[in-house]
Amino acid sequence: MATEERPSICFVCHECDALQQVSAIKPGNTVNCLCCGSKLFSNPVNGIEKPLALIVAAAILFIVANVYPVMTINIAGIERAATLTDSAMIFIELGRPELAAMVWIPGVLIPGFIIFGLFYILFSIRFNLALPYTRPLLVWASRLLPWAMMDVFLLGVLVALVKLVALASVFLGPGFYAFVVLVLAYAAATASLEPHTLWQALGEQSDGQREACCER
Amino acid sequence: MSDNIVRAKDLGMAGCHTCGQVVRLMEKKHCVCPRCGSDVHYRKNNSITRAWALLISAFIMYIPANTEPIMYTTSLGQQGSDTIMSGVIYFLSHGDWPLALVIFSASVLVPIAKMITIAYILIMVQRGSARRQAENTRLYILAELMGKWSMVDVFVVALLAALIQLGTLTTIEPGPAGMAFASMVILTMFAAMALDPKLIWDQTE
Ligand SMILES: [Zn+2]
Repeated sequence: MATEERPSICFVCHECDALQQVSAIKPGNTVNCLCCGSKLFSNPVNGIEKPLALIVAAAILFIVANVYPVMTINIAGIERAATLTDSAMIFIELGRPELAAMVWIPGVLIPGFIIFGLFYILFSIRFNLALPYTRPLLVWASRLLPWAMMDVFLLGVLVALVKLVALASVFLGPGFYAFVVLVLAYAAATASLEPHTLWQALGEQSDGQREACCER
Repeated sequence: MSDNIVRAKDLGMAGCHTCGQVVRLMEKKHCVCPRCGSDVHYRKNNSITRAWALLISAFIMYIPANTEPIMYTTSLGQQGSDTIMSGVIYFLSHGDWPLALVIFSASVLVPIAKMITIAYILIMVQRGSARRQAENTRLYILAELMGKWSMVDVFVVALLAALIQLGTLTTIEPGPAGMAFASMVILTMFAAMALDPKLIWDQTE
């Protein structure tokens, strides 16, 4: 195990390229870059269990939010309900598949991939299962993270809600409440995750590859 | 340690963009990260040229995004269209100023602020300026985070169109601004990703 005997870790700041040797920190602490002040890494309390619990909650809520209608409206006796995916698929019906992709990919597909991908990775680490494909999954989850726009989608749902209340009677569906809690759980899960902790855990599972370090 | 900061590049080392692994690159330009398999390099390739190209394309999309209709409403045979500004004015005239402010910020202010920030950092880097490096890095991180909020109107139209399809009574259809907004968001996000913040720190007085 490469990481056992080394008390301090070498970091290169993402933003300013400053190289710094950081000794192990207490759980709950964060180390900022000495040069530019941006976050280098943190050591969250229960760095695996807490995000795993939140991700499990997010995964269940994700299914509920996508199966049940977000809202139902009633105009002059005509009722119509829509789920999150329906709001993308309407663009295909209207002959605008590119807009459907712009809604569905960042609003549903990428968040879903990240939620279930992180669940798989955290589950594998927590129970020492060394499941296959955890590394490529983590690579893609971190690359796709900026493209997950569930929070923006939620703001869009709220704006649409205000617009619709003026036009029709609106009933919020179970999908709406699940979606609100989902966005909160997802934000809490990603905030409690430290990529460094995950990569170190994955690094320990496969025995090869000694980490390059900065003994000068 | 706080006084003499060493840049990884000067020691022939680099951090992996994806997993943070520190790699000894030396005279090589790039290599494969031993931990996650991503490409590790000192600085992003053609960072400045790519960022400018993406930024200018994003700015071109910003214009139709705000001037073209975002949606068409057909109500009992009568067609109307809405742009972002007409929506903002509608909410203002109904006393709904918090919502007007949300839409105006997300659709008009955030994208232009993000584009100006990236252009400003690009100009500072090209001039070789070593001033306000920490502030500019913080500006960069902020610009990187806020860009996606401009997508909000695309989601709003999606939901309205999905719900309001009442045959001859009322229907809502997307206008050309929707795709312009989505393209603008994607282009500004790629522009921010193309810009390497480490270039800000490569300059010395
Ligand atoms: Zn830094």
